[in-house]
Amino acid sequence: MIEVKNLHKTFKVGKNVVKALDGLSFTAKDGEITGILGPNGAGKTTCLRTLYGLLTADQGSVVIDGIQVAESPLEARSRLGIFPDKFGLYERLSAYEQIDYFASIHGMQGDVKKQAIEQVLIDLEMQELAHRKTLGFSQGQRMKVTLAQALVHQPKNFVLDEPTRGLDVMSTRILRNYLAKHRDNGHCILFSSHVMQEVAALCDRVIIVADGKLAAEGTPQELCDLAGEKLLEDAFVKLIGSDEGVAA
Amino acid sequence: MNQFKALLLKEYKEAFRDKRALMVAMMMAVMAPVMIFALSKTMIKELVETPPIYVKVSGAEFAPKLIKQFKDENILLFADVPSEDKNLWHERNIEITIPETFAKDMIAGETIDIVLRTDYSDKAMNAPLRRIKDEIRNYARSIGYKRLLVRGVDIRLLKPVNLIEQNTALPSSNAMFISMMLGLYLLMAAFMSGLSVAIDSSAGERERNVLEMLLCQPVSTLKIVLAKLVGASTIAIIGVVLTLVLTSFSVGFVDLTKIGATFSLDAFTIAALIILLIPICFFASALQLFVSFQAKSFKEAQSTVSMIIMLPAMIPVALMFIDDKPKWLDWLPVSGQSLLMEDLFKGLPVDWFLVMATSLVTIAITIALVVILSIRLKSEKVVLALS
Repeated sequence: MIEVKNLHKTFKVGKNVVKALDGLSFTAKDGEITGILGPNGAGKTTCLRTLYGLLTADQGSVVIDGIQVAESPLEARSRLGIFPDKFGLYERLSAYEQIDYFASIHGMQGDVKKQAIEQVLIDLEMQELAHRKTLGFSQGQRMKVTLAQALVHQPKNFVLDEPTRGLDVMSTRILRNYLAKHRDNGHCILFSSHVMQEVAALCDRVIIVADGKLAAEGTPQELCDLAGEKLLEDAFVKLIGSDEGVAA
Repeated sequence: MNQFKALLLKEYKEAFRDKRALMVAMMMAVMAPVMIFALSKTMIKELVETPPIYVKVSGAEFAPKLIKQFKDENILLFADVPSEDKNLWHERNIEITIPETFAKDMIAGETIDIVLRTDYSDKAMNAPLRRIKDEIRNYARSIGYKRLLVRGVDIRLLKPVNLIEQNTALPSSNAMFISMMLGLYLLMAAFMSGLSVAIDSSAGERERNVLEMLLCQPVSTLKIVLAKLVGASTIAIIGVVLTLVLTSFSVGFVDLTKIGATFSLDAFTIAALIILLIPICFFASALQLFVSFQAKSFKEAQSTVSMIIMLPAMIPVALMFIDDKPKWLDWLPVSGQSLLMEDLFKGLPVDWFLVMATSLVTIAITIALVVILSIRLKSEKVVLALS
């Protein structure tokens, strides 16, 4: 479970002060896929980086499975599977070696590690890629490797920042099924995306962030009802643009 | 430990698969013996052989015996100069003027003035001038001795004091120059060999967006920095060891004793040099990582780190100009090792206390760099610079 409580964060850019987070609070529960939506610059990446323990909040806290991230970042991170906003690959390693590398960093070894790697390769249908050097991989293939290395240690909590960008229809479906299966197994999945149909189809709950604050929260249907719209996309635009949405 | 092993293994895999970085490391090692070999060869040639000297002699016909003696010592007339060297010797312009009255004055026992005219400030002229002057002196002396002998005078009277010169410099200055070059080169190898790996694993990873992902993992920044340090230093150490082994092999092909050199790279010297240089390899890699982790791009890291390379080249050269060296120079990284290497090449016994002292100081500075860097990698400034 991921609990974000009253996060505040300001940055100084030259003489300007930018308020990236302004009292953001939400909870992503176990056994649920929580979608996080927001326009560009709403504070999503800052929120997620605070969640990984890369940034320290000016005020407020993030708690992962009862662990305060600010106090014990390494312990908190060991419970996360992270697919970051920006990602790259070690181009001189094969896909298998990269996944192996991240599994070892998470403390896995021996047969357990080997089995976990095999499993994630099967789950994401990427056995064919496994022993190729990642140099020259397509965007979709690179995404798959990054997903595999984020999830190989079977973390309790997944934090995925737009994990479907660049994936083809087949790969998106594989990922959707993978996430749904893990949700059913009780994992907590926090998921950001700009594709509304995907959020509507996959997420149990949606959090809308605007100007560093929580703008609205609920199931996709609840949000549509709240905004009085049929489509989530219309509801989203209305909610981030109106004061009523913030009040709700 | 498992985590560190994984981090280090990945650094090794990346380093040893990076052909460009490996080539830089190996290039340094291969170039050293070639350079030392060529340098020694030229030096021996210059010092031992007597290459021809072409002199513009006016009045050569007045002193045929002197000219013959010149010729025996490879000091020849300008008229005989081969066409390809003509310009060179014309520019050097060594003129000797023998007076018309040479034969008459010789018979009369008068002092004959022979004029030697050239640009004495030109360093290239030192050896030819020395040879010409020696020959003229020898010629004059042998005639003088004969004159005294025929008058029944013991020529030993002319030599009340005999100066016996014994050069105790160990080894001769020429060999010293070669060993100094090797010392400088070894320091350069320590700094250069691991360079590409250090930049690639820090600024390169940042540019390829893999650093952020690594920083999000449950692993301390200290372990990350240490793994990268050991990775880059290993390549640097391989570079240094290879340089030494290849050089010792190539030095075997030159007979340095010809120029009075006692310079040798035996197993003991090589071992002592490696012990001295290993801390420097770690220090160099730590310094390079420190700088390039804070650079915004690969290119910026490259230009900043290239300034660091000046360090091993500048310090030993600067040391040469300090006659009265302050004691603390013995302890500092680079200068300490440089001075100890100088002693080692001179054949002086190794001061193991100083070796320990300078190694400890070097290691202490390296540790400080690693700790500061690992703290800086946790700072928000570094994280924000990622995007």
